[in-house]
Amino acid sequence: MTLPNTTSTERAGLLLRAWPLQLLPWAVSAAIVGYAFIVGGYVATVIAFALVYVVFVTGLNLFMGFANQVSFGQNAFAGLGGYASAILTTTYNWPVLPAMIAGIVLAVVIALIIGYPTLRLKGHYLAMATLAIGLITYEIAVEWQSMTQGYLGISGIPPLGIGSYEIISDRGQLAILSIVALLAVFIAARIKSSRMGRAFLALGASENAALALGINVSRTKLIAFLTAAAFAALAGALFVHVVGYVSPEVFGLHMVILGFTMLYVGGIGSIAGPLIGALLISLLPEVLRGFKDYQDLFYGTALILLLIYAPRGLAAFFERRERTGSAS
Amino acid sequence: MSDFTYFAQVLVSGLGTGCIYGLIGIGFCVIYNASGIVNFAQGAFVMLGGMITQVALTRLGLPLPIAAIIAILLVAISGTVLERVVVRPLWDRNATMFVMILATLAAQIVVERATLLAVGDQPRTLPVFTDLPPLKFGGVAVSLQLIWILVTSCLIVAGLAVFFQKTKTGKAMRACAIDREAAALQGIPVKRMLALSFALSAGLGALAGVLITPTQYTAFNVGVPFAISGFIAAIVGGFGKPSGAFLGGLLLGVVQAAAIAGFGSGLKNVAALSMLLIFLFLRPGGIVGASK
Repeated sequence: MTLPNTTSTERAGLLLRAWPLQLLPWAVSAAIVGYAFIVGGYVATVIAFALVYVVFVTGLNLFMGFANQVSFGQNAFAGLGGYASAILTTTYNWPVLPAMIAGIVLAVVIALIIGYPTLRLKGHYLAMATLAIGLITYEIAVEWQSMTQGYLGISGIPPLGIGSYEIISDRGQLAILSIVALLAVFIAARIKSSRMGRAFLALGASENAALALGINVSRTKLIAFLTAAAFAALAGALFVHVVGYVSPEVFGLHMVILGFTMLYVGGIGSIAGPLIGALLISLLPEVLRGFKDYQDLFYGTALILLLIYAPRGLAAFFERRERTGSAS
Repeated sequence: MSDFTYFAQVLVSGLGTGCIYGLIGIGFCVIYNASGIVNFAQGAFVMLGGMITQVALTRLGLPLPIAAIIAILLVAISGTVLERVVVRPLWDRNATMFVMILATLAAQIVVERATLLAVGDQPRTLPVFTDLPPLKFGGVAVSLQLIWILVTSCLIVAGLAVFFQKTKTGKAMRACAIDREAAALQGIPVKRMLALSFALSAGLGALAGVLITPTQYTAFNVGVPFAISGFIAAIVGGFGKPSGAFLGGLLLGVVQAAAIAGFGSGLKNVAALSMLLIFLFLRPGGIVGASK
């Protein structure tokens, strides 16, 4: 990136001043997680949820922030991953780790089957089709009672762990989830700077330009979709094992709006955005007392206001503009 | 009951819900034509129509016709509020299509949750408009509510056709649909047409909600499935054509009724959603060609 009308020393000065700001979201996130780790108990549980959402939102960001595609149905893949892992561990007594992996594989396979025809759609049709995929998954979770136990949900799902070692303590869960969330963010950052990631960004900027550059547009879209689905499924699987319970409501439309609110608070298209967005939005209900009942009402309103008045979210403050004209 | 009368019975009940989907689909078209926006909060209007009528009926003790008219007017006003508070600011900022969809979807959730807080999560229903035994045509029973739905819908569709063809306002709205800039140059207040389209669309949605609630029920979360059904109706009819949307709605209603007869009512929404996906996938050329 070159800044017009600046000498090299001015540019260095700009970079120096930009650095602490860029580090700010990481520092704040570390402080929040660190605080939860020290306090433990309920705060640790809240932050554990937030970290699960970091994984989900990071996937959403890959597909929508980088590749500039539209999906309102990522909750479907979180639901698939979560339910598959829950059913395999409870009904079929699988160990947790293989069950989670199976859940992710299942979600990716279904995403491949759905993604192939869906991603050929554009605009409103793509939006409505993905919304429909999320709703179909919800309806199936409600109706397929022999498998999912309908509205009642599945309880008694074993906690995260490997072999006979189970992570039950709040702090243990928090530690493992921090690692997973950080890994997810790290992978997203790696993807962004990789050849594939640059293809995502090119696709996001202009489909025709990407095509002219020799990028296989439909394959790139599909890969972005599958990656996002894998992240969503991982988040879903983590969720059921952390909470120990799953019901259709967990992966309803509520999850979509919550995910988008987090993404837009943090800043769509940025690396640290999903992390800081998920943490801050999860903390809000705890800061404001008696807020629980109004949660979704608040998230929806906040999302509308963000879209109108601050479409770049917090990233506008802490991240340098990487592409000119990316604010659209 | 013979196979034929069973078939006819399914067809008749499908046509009833089909009219409702058609009305919702027309609501999508009216806004889309005036602005190129697909309003994902369309289902909120349907839910509010039934819900406000129910509340006015039970809590305020108003007679049904007055409660229904009040509900439809209130929802039409809420449509313009949505336009002014959510859509217009984004419109003025040249927001992308995706942002507009997300914002209207968020508005849907806000309305849903506010309704949940206001009236709780219990499903509610309305009394039928005319409490008389169903008419019998051969072995096929046709409830009077169904006749209300059919007659009202047909009147509305005819009324809209006259409105768009004959009145100055209707013609102005069609001009906006054809070319917004040219319409503005002719002195048509394009933004006022946008507000009007939201009011009209919301009123249609509310009417659909009032008509259907006696045969089904309404609850805070019925909006999204209704919106999707209306959207399917609009797509099947070729997006933007009100009369096409109505026929699309009838088709969807019949298909859905057949699915319910075949697989049970639990899969009602799955049938509609699958029809959406099948339709989108199998007719990509014609459909994608019309997208913006």
